[in-house]
Amino acid sequence: MEQRPELTVEPVRPWARAQVMLPVFVPFSLIGGLLPSFSLAANLYVLALGGGMMLAGMSSRLPRRAAPSGLLPGVAWWLVPVAVFVVVEVITFAMGSTHDYPTLSLLADPLLDGYLVRSLAYFGWLAGFWGLVRR
Amino acid sequence: MSLTRFLAIAGFVLAGVAVLAVEWAARRPGSRVPSIGDVAALVMRYDVGGLPVGRLAILGFWFWLGWHFLAR
Repeated sequence: MEQRPELTVEPVRPWARAQVMLPVFVPFSLIGGLLPSFSLAANLYVLALGGGMMLAGMSSRLPRRAAPSGLLPGVAWWLVPVAVFVVVEVITFAMGSTHDYPTLSLLADPLLDGYLVRSLAYFGWLAGFWGLVRR
Repeated sequence: MSLTRFLAIAGFVLAGVAVLAVEWAARRPGSRVPSIGDVAALVMRYDVGGLPVGRLAILGFWFWLGWHFLAR
């Protein structure tokens, strides 16, 4: 793994701070909450927002937070939630993702039909995306 | 509610609770467990021949996640 210290020690520009960017995501989330799943508008909206975030994330001009030099020995603990999720998701998917064997997507769909939850999901997605872009 | 549906929901809830628990443990002072952000940051630094494979993979996965739950 190659060290790229020039990407990790840049000073944070004021506009790139979470305190500035998170409020920007609020109107985008409120608009996204209006767009139903499987609609052309929702697809174009997610593609536009995600594409913009991808471009920002791949740009080396954006300041990035300091990265750890190596992993701590306790990283294996992250395998616990991953393993639990993968086992349940694989089994339910293999059983056809039915009412009796629901995948996470099937369980989330009725929740995401509501405007508030859908808007919150948009906000969480954008905030998480921004957190990754800054990494 | 059938038993299999209950077990599936319980499994997803357990996975979510486990994420919160490990992240909480990682944020304690002197913890030897890295936070989920630190794990992502390390994966994102992985390059192959100058191509930021790790960065593309993590950002691409998050992009797909949003499309899968919010658009498809």
